[in-house]
Amino acid sequence: MTYEETIRQKVIEVLVDEFELDQELLQPEATLYDDLGLDSLDAVDMVVALEKAFGMKMNDEEKIRAVKTVDDLIRLIVSIGEQHAN
Amino acid sequence: MNTDVVIIGSGISGLTAAALLAQKGKRVIILEKKSRPGGALKRFKRQGIPFDVGFHYTGGLGKGEILRVLWEHLNILPGLSIQPFPPHGNDQVSIKDSDKTVRCFFSYELLQKELQRVFPHEKHGINEYMDTIRSICSTIPFFNLDLPLTPFLRNLFGPANTNLADALKTLTKDQELQTILNTPAFLHGVPPENVSLATHAIVAHSYYSGAYALDGGGQAIVDAFVSELNKAGVHIKTSCAAQEIMVHNSRVSGVRSSNEEIHAADVIFTGHPTHLLDIINGQVFRPVYCNRLRELKNTGSMFIVFGAVDDPDSLQETTWVNYYSVQKGMGLLAVHPESPENSSMMLTTPGRRDSDAISTNSARGVILMRPADWCETADFQKSETGKRPAAYEDWKSDQTEKLLGQAHKLWGGTIGEIKPLAAGSPLTLRDELGNPQGGVYGVKHSLGQFITGARTRLPGLWLSGQGTLMTGIMGASLSGFVTAGEMLGLEELWDEVRQCR
Repeated sequence: MTYEETIRQKVIEVLVDEFELDQELLQPEATLYDDLGLDSLDAVDMVVALEKAFGMKMNDEEKIRAVKTVDDLIRLIVSIGEQHAN
Repeated sequence: MNTDVVIIGSGISGLTAAALLAQKGKRVIILEKKSRPGGALKRFKRQGIPFDVGFHYTGGLGKGEILRVLWEHLNILPGLSIQPFPPHGNDQVSIKDSDKTVRCFFSYELLQKELQRVFPHEKHGINEYMDTIRSICSTIPFFNLDLPLTPFLRNLFGPANTNLADALKTLTKDQELQTILNTPAFLHGVPPENVSLATHAIVAHSYYSGAYALDGGGQAIVDAFVSELNKAGVHIKTSCAAQEIMVHNSRVSGVRSSNEEIHAADVIFTGHPTHLLDIINGQVFRPVYCNRLRELKNTGSMFIVFGAVDDPDSLQETTWVNYYSVQKGMGLLAVHPESPENSSMMLTTPGRRDSDAISTNSARGVILMRPADWCETADFQKSETGKRPAAYEDWKSDQTEKLLGQAHKLWGGTIGEIKPLAAGSPLTLRDELGNPQGGVYGVKHSLGQFITGARTRLPGLWLSGQGTLMTGIMGASLSGFVTAGEMLGLEELWDEVRQCR
């Protein structure tokens, strides 16, 4: 499994376990707001859950706000992971 | 029974939200499990001497400042007699193992002069620190009332989210100056490595802008609110614990208390957010939110001695000084497990600036506090108020003696002999204020921890209290305002309140 796939799997796991979302809905293009019914109130919960799952800090508000789809979310985690590694 | 809003808890956040909602014609019922309303603002008496637990002095009451504006809007001011600290009033801070004592005046100008006098080589760092604090607060609507509220409240990370310790180390290499600049930590309860520059700035700025006492202390605030709420038809039910927040068709339907069911479309929970899960079926939330509430970290606790001085000569003058003895460097709030009495401590005499107390000869009260660790009470944590084991009383007496001994060494010459009348430990704070681990400011407003805010996923359920916005009497009052604002329309309510400038 590639690094990105590992991340993808873990993000999906968080969304299913912690947000009780239906795994079948979690397609890469699915939008968090329209397709998954998440809203701005969920943003903090999302940051808290992902920080815990990946043991890292998310603190770039602009980048978080720019996340629209499941795929965007995974790419954000991957990029933060790469920054940490560097 | 039916009403529009049930508020659980009658601390200053609940009272504030109730007053704002009632002004808008809402029918409000407040449930309070203790026998008297007011939460941490209540006073208690020993030998006729009144003691404040949670209110000793506050900022924000100057002309045009937020707490005064809010109280003006709520018609609370006519019931209060506000006593501004005079220019010579200060927090007198002595640094342990150092000969330095600094008078931290409640004015940017005077504090700056004093710091420059004591630390003549640090002028640049001092000026830069003050500019930084002022500049952060100019971006916060509660200090710059021209700003809208929404952007500040919806910001995920808040402004200036670097830690205070790093910021102070950049400003000055002088450990003693770092210590002094870090002293406001006593008033938010978060160590400098964990607190954001913004959280520190909010607390520091409100005191650098002026400090205020009130005749009658925190109780006078409670009484003024209760009187206004009575006029507005708000019903405060004391000795009445909320047992369950009822949910019907995926929204709040009311509260079940020890003796009745109250149906309401909206419920505000003002207790510690972790305790919300004690009275609601957690399945109404997603697991992520329940985990967040459950895992909230708390501020440290305090050990408090309430005493009295016997020497009438020492009572001739009003006292506008609070005394601090603090550990050098970043360890201001640290507790030494071997010798907790060697921690930092604070001594304050609110009675001696209280015209009521002075005129009734009950101004002899002295309050002494030191940071305390929850672990200190490990052997007694299963006990409750009124049913503590004898060993607990022994431990408390021992700690009281030790703290009084330290205070005598430091301030005996100024204050005189202090006779202990009562003491409060982390257990007292847990059981009286409902804060897990006796956390003196409840939820820790630390970097990396997201506070809950007023809104929840469950329609009709709202949170309030110092754990949801900012700490202290100002923070808790503003949280009550923000919660009411979220329910009624934030910017509209903000506009109305701001008109009272």
